[in-house]
Amino acid sequence: MFTKSWHSVGPSLDECIKCNICTSYCPVSAVTDLFPGPKYVGPQAQRFRENGQPQTPDHSVDYCSGCRVCNEVCPTGVKIAELNARARAQIMAEEGIPLRNRLLGRNETLGKIGSIAPGLANFGLHNSFSRVMAEKVMGIAREAPLPHWSTEGTFGDWVKKTQAVRLKSAKKVVYYHGCATMYYEPFIGKAAVAVFEHNGYEVLVPPQNCCGLPLLSNGEFDAATDYHQNNVNKLLVYAQAGLDIVGTSTSCTLTLKEEAPELLDFDTEQAKAITMATWDIFEWLRERHDHGELKTDFREINMVLPYHAPCQYRAHRVGKPAMDILTLIPGIDLRESQARCCGIAGTYGYKKEKYQIAMDVGAELFNFVADQGEAVEMTACDSETCRWQLEHGTDLPSRHPIEILAAAYGLYDLDKRDLINS
Amino acid sequence: MSDLLIIGAGLSGLMAAYTAVKAGLRVNVVSKGLGSMHWSAGTVDLLGYSPAQPQTAVKRPLEQIPALIEANPHHPYALLSNEHLAQTLATFVALSKDLGVPYGGAANPGDNLLLPSPAGAARPTYLAPKGQLAGDLSRSEPMLIVGFTGMRDFYPELIAENLTKLGYPARAAFLPLKLITQRHDSNTVQLAQGLDNKEQRALLGAALRKLVRPGERIGLPAILGMDAHMTLLAELERETNSLVFEIPTLPPSVPGVRLFKSLRRYLQEQGVRLTAGIEVITANLTAPNGVPGAVQWVESATSARPLKLRADKYLLATGGILGGGFNSDMHGRVWETIFNLPLTMPQDRANWFEPGFLATQGHPVFNGGVTVNQHFQPVTENGQLLYGNLWAAGNLLAQSDAILERSTEGTAIATGVAAAQALSS
Amino acid sequence: MHKLKTEVLVIGGGATGTGVAWDAALRGFKVILVERRDLTHGTSGRYHGLLHSGGRYAVKDPHGAAECIAENKILRVTHAHCIEDTSGFFVVLPEDEGDFPDKFKAGCDAVGIPCTEIPVAEALRREPLLNPRISRVFEVPDGSSDSFLAAHATAQAARNAGAQILTYHEVTNLIMTGGDDNRRVAGAMVHNVVTGEEMEIHADITINAAGAWTGKLAAMAGIQITIMPSKGTMVAMNHRLVNTVVNRCKMPSDGDIIVPSHTVCVIGTTSINVPEPEPLRIEPWEVNKMLEEGDKMVPGFAQARVLRAWAGVRPLFQDTYTSGKGRDVTRKLALLDHQEREGVSGFLTITGGKWTTFRLMAEATVDDICRHLGTERPCTTATTPVPGAEQGNYWLGHRLHDIEEQHLQGQLVCECELVTRTMVENAARRNPLLTLDDLRRDVRLGKGPCQGGFCTYRAVGILHEMKNAGSWEVDMSDEAGSTAKWEVAYLQSPGHNLVSDADSHESSAEPANSADAFNPNLLLRDFLQERWKGVTPILWGRQLKQERLDELIYMSLMNVDHLPDKQLASPVTDFYHFDTTPTAEEVADV
Repeated sequence: MFTKSWHSVGPSLDECIKCNICTSYCPVSAVTDLFPGPKYVGPQAQRFRENGQPQTPDHSVDYCSGCRVCNEVCPTGVKIAELNARARAQIMAEEGIPLRNRLLGRNETLGKIGSIAPGLANFGLHNSFSRVMAEKVMGIAREAPLPHWSTEGTFGDWVKKTQAVRLKSAKKVVYYHGCATMYYEPFIGKAAVAVFEHNGYEVLVPPQNCCGLPLLSNGEFDAATDYHQNNVNKLLVYAQAGLDIVGTSTSCTLTLKEEAPELLDFDTEQAKAITMATWDIFEWLRERHDHGELKTDFREINMVLPYHAPCQYRAHRVGKPAMDILTLIPGIDLRESQARCCGIAGTYGYKKEKYQIAMDVGAELFNFVADQGEAVEMTACDSETCRWQLEHGTDLPSRHPIEILAAAYGLYDLDKRDLINS
Repeated sequence: MSDLLIIGAGLSGLMAAYTAVKAGLRVNVVSKGLGSMHWSAGTVDLLGYSPAQPQTAVKRPLEQIPALIEANPHHPYALLSNEHLAQTLATFVALSKDLGVPYGGAANPGDNLLLPSPAGAARPTYLAPKGQLAGDLSRSEPMLIVGFTGMRDFYPELIAENLTKLGYPARAAFLPLKLITQRHDSNTVQLAQGLDNKEQRALLGAALRKLVRPGERIGLPAILGMDAHMTLLAELERETNSLVFEIPTLPPSVPGVRLFKSLRRYLQEQGVRLTAGIEVITANLTAPNGVPGAVQWVESATSARPLKLRADKYLLATGGILGGGFNSDMHGRVWETIFNLPLTMPQDRANWFEPGFLATQGHPVFNGGVTVNQHFQPVTENGQLLYGNLWAAGNLLAQSDAILERSTEGTAIATGVAAAQALSS
Repeated sequence: MHKLKTEVLVIGGGATGTGVAWDAALRGFKVILVERRDLTHGTSGRYHGLLHSGGRYAVKDPHGAAECIAENKILRVTHAHCIEDTSGFFVVLPEDEGDFPDKFKAGCDAVGIPCTEIPVAEALRREPLLNPRISRVFEVPDGSSDSFLAAHATAQAARNAGAQILTYHEVTNLIMTGGDDNRRVAGAMVHNVVTGEEMEIHADITINAAGAWTGKLAAMAGIQITIMPSKGTMVAMNHRLVNTVVNRCKMPSDGDIIVPSHTVCVIGTTSINVPEPEPLRIEPWEVNKMLEEGDKMVPGFAQARVLRAWAGVRPLFQDTYTSGKGRDVTRKLALLDHQEREGVSGFLTITGGKWTTFRLMAEATVDDICRHLGTERPCTTATTPVPGAEQGNYWLGHRLHDIEEQHLQGQLVCECELVTRTMVENAARRNPLLTLDDLRRDVRLGKGPCQGGFCTYRAVGILHEMKNAGSWEVDMSDEAGSTAKWEVAYLQSPGHNLVSDADSHESSAEPANSADAFNPNLLLRDFLQERWKGVTPILWGRQLKQERLDELIYMSLMNVDHLPDKQLASPVTDFYHFDTTPTAEEVADV
């Protein structure tokens, strides 16, 4: 790959002192021989890949899930996950991208299509015949937790419908909802809006498109470039006006902040403006709290709540802000998961050849949840695919922390997953 | 906001966190990654060799340290009284029991242990995890060193031959690697995790029983279980009716990982926030003339805006050259990367190294570091306090080469605890 | 005393010596080669790694350039597996403009070196790290070569044709016969460095291919040859910042070539007259200069991780001594017929030249041998591939590819350079392997970022196991040494080393190699020191952190400085112990 982004990340291989800490903590190499470990496929193999080779020499890097535990534990700052991501993209550039990966990359398109007739789409997808076919033909694991289209309308529909009655204020914030909220889980967006408005912010939901992360993960850099450029174009005016662009999906916000600009060599002033304006919602709420601006009129919620920080937070590098806020809610017994990864890793766990690896990786998390006792009613996690995986692996409902917070404000029903006065 | 922000999650940072949280402080620990516990033998080296007699292992370190300090009054151990040092080590031993990885010392209290190294040398060390104690070469039982064919990080024949040459009778034997793993590729951590499995444990015990002769003790590479380590040890000793001990391997160090993980979990249960993957890159400082300055906050890079981390007090425990707390360049400059604290090593490459890798006097570049006062606060070369709310501990401290002296963990624990005590009072 | 008799005695085991042995053996001569240490101990093991297109000499030395391009084409076939087809750029920086670039192009055209000017944008696309201020780029067929593999494969070819290769055999004197007016070199007195024994080798003709030691050897016959040792320092960077050979398009000077070589890239070089070929100091100003010059071609070069520095000596021959900088003295090959020049028969010296022309030098030498021995036998080396050449050109990913295809991850001993256990075992059984440094030359052990941090211990453990099993059987007695195996052509491919020779070996009751020289503790300490001496000149930043980890491993963890057998030393490794640390005066010069 001849992009400059090799060179933002390639030199970090120089930091590697071969100490093996990364391999010791990698959850994927712990469960399968197919993945020799981050040190091997990252900085070590990188010295054997370079431009102009007759072919890509390796394939085991494909089993890297991108969870970034390696980056987090590396004492010298090797950007291992990024090295691996580029190596995978290189393999795909050479060998072509399978149809399955192209499909999984087009989350937004799939979302749109299904929401035309969501009931039918859900029926069509979520029956055993379809799933078996999808596995045989496309390689999508039959048991992997694919989402359901919302049968209550999309988030966009709700935004339009409620335009007139929603809060107007001098304090405004832009909400970046992402595809999952839009097509599968509009209630996440509703909870977010409720929390913003409770804190006195008017929520703007301008035109926006998919962040492109699934395309990036599957090596379709050209398509991802278009997506990102479109988002930059659409959101720039808000960033330049000093508004924060806040998202509830840790993967979307990471893509806007860093992943897209870095992988695609988006070095422009505009892309930087978007980066500096983008916030994860709990990162943003924590900032408000640090300035004494967050309303803390919480009801008591008595529950043992296992919380799992999604892997993307490792790349955000802002700590675990949802924990900082959820601990303010009286009655919540927050249990921080030390599990490394739920396993799904974006689109990784949906692939037939990786499904079992993903479940084996996630076992650490599922066991942790089970260990928190019988009283546990639900788990919390900021990333949608993690929540689906958690539900799949624990048989317990999983909620976005923003839903918990909205419920603590008395605005949201955690069981029905809807606003209380809607 | 916390009371104390510790930068660095090595042994000194974590022991400081332990001390501070016990004193009632709210503690936040951030680190770029994980630290050198993952590479070392998992023992507590207090003082193995003194510069005055580099050829002879120190027999009773606490008694030797006063002479060490007299010859080098700026040694980090000079900041602590002998009683304090002994007390801190006792605290560590007690804590290790709570952690589920109990540490102990030589049969004759106050002696160094002499433990087999992975090359078959005799390593002097003060405290070792229970799993290594039966390897003390002061014991008389002959040793059976058992390795696994094709396990690349452990060579029993080399170990046995060298131990025997040194006067400690040992013989070697092999078991097939397939006995304990079905994987083609395993590092030591993965092998240890594999041995948490009940079936594998039983297979290993049965195989060892066939190999061992009466009166022998069995040495194995340090892969005897991760979570089930203590159980596995007991099982093996019962099954073979012999003492069993671990010998540390090339990194990653399983005993080090056990200690790290258990200490981290313990601290989290006490309410300490530990976040890895946060690299503190700069500090916002005030330093008005004539008065010690203060740290306002420190910053780490994120995927967007820098993250500001604030606390009442800050403790730097970033480990020096190996830990990443210091950087150096081709012009001979060495600098501390966050606060730019003055360092004592020669700023001139001509004076950094000796020609021999194993030179007995060590390499001067590794001897330098941060100078602190008796309260563990960094000072200028004139002894002036630099920042009123900054402390420093661990192997970044000046005037000792802990690898040369074999005092790494002793320095880390003792100064980490003492610095936290100083800042808590 | 042991006596051997042969037709051709070749002294020197570098590219030239092995080339002569090969050519002579192919032509049916009985050949013995002696080398004081391991093959490529001298200049051949310390050079830049460049397969010249000849472009560098096109303006200054068209004859030399023509030789280069002709040999370049030949070696790509005969030594294909030792060559990487990297291609080469000659780049014009703003300060290099003027008429040289056009002269360069004209010179290449005149000599027949394929030289195409390519658009700068194309060059930057292929090499994104190149200085964007480059104004012109010419592409030529430079390549990257592995002199270690080449010498080994050439020696194997010679061996297959009946030659005897005696490494660790040092010539202590030449055997002179005849009176004042008909002096003759009748062979050499040779000292077996490992066993300490002396032997005599009687030969019809003796070839002085001793590289930087040529003058010393000739002096043993009372002949004065002025060899000006010109030291060149090279610096290797941790990874390939460029994948094409990059040359500055100007008159040759210091630090103007970057060569991608296996997993690293090498910037060189300097040119400083030194009194002796050994030991060689690397001065801080040389390292700084290399990095600064590298920065001009590849901005940011000086901030990348520096892996190692070493120096080699160009043996520059001067017929009469004149003062002048080394580079201007001829790089031409020089075949000295001592019968014609000094009246000493039975002795030829072949010197000068560059690695790229070693085969041609050998051809000229053996043609002369034919003349002296009164026979006419044609040279066939130009069309005779050496063992292993059928693997085709080296490509960077081949080891990784083999490991992936064959699932050999669990076998890795040197993880940085992807050396498997079977490669180590086979190296120990297929050529005389005495030290870990020999192993380094055979399979690249210890050449990666950790500079032996992990693999030194593993390799020692493996060799020790083999020794105990009797399968590491280096018998350096002269009977055995002269028939030692040289099956090295496939040692560098994990995929060709799936089966270990050690497995099929039957354990003997007696361990092999009980000699002190094979003591594992000595091997371990010696290799640690060997690696250290090559890093102290470049040790700062990331590499300094790496070394501190290596110290933690070998001192804190392994306590190797307190292993038994501290008193042992090996005559074979004494040269590791000279001081390469910068002195205060040298640092002040920077």
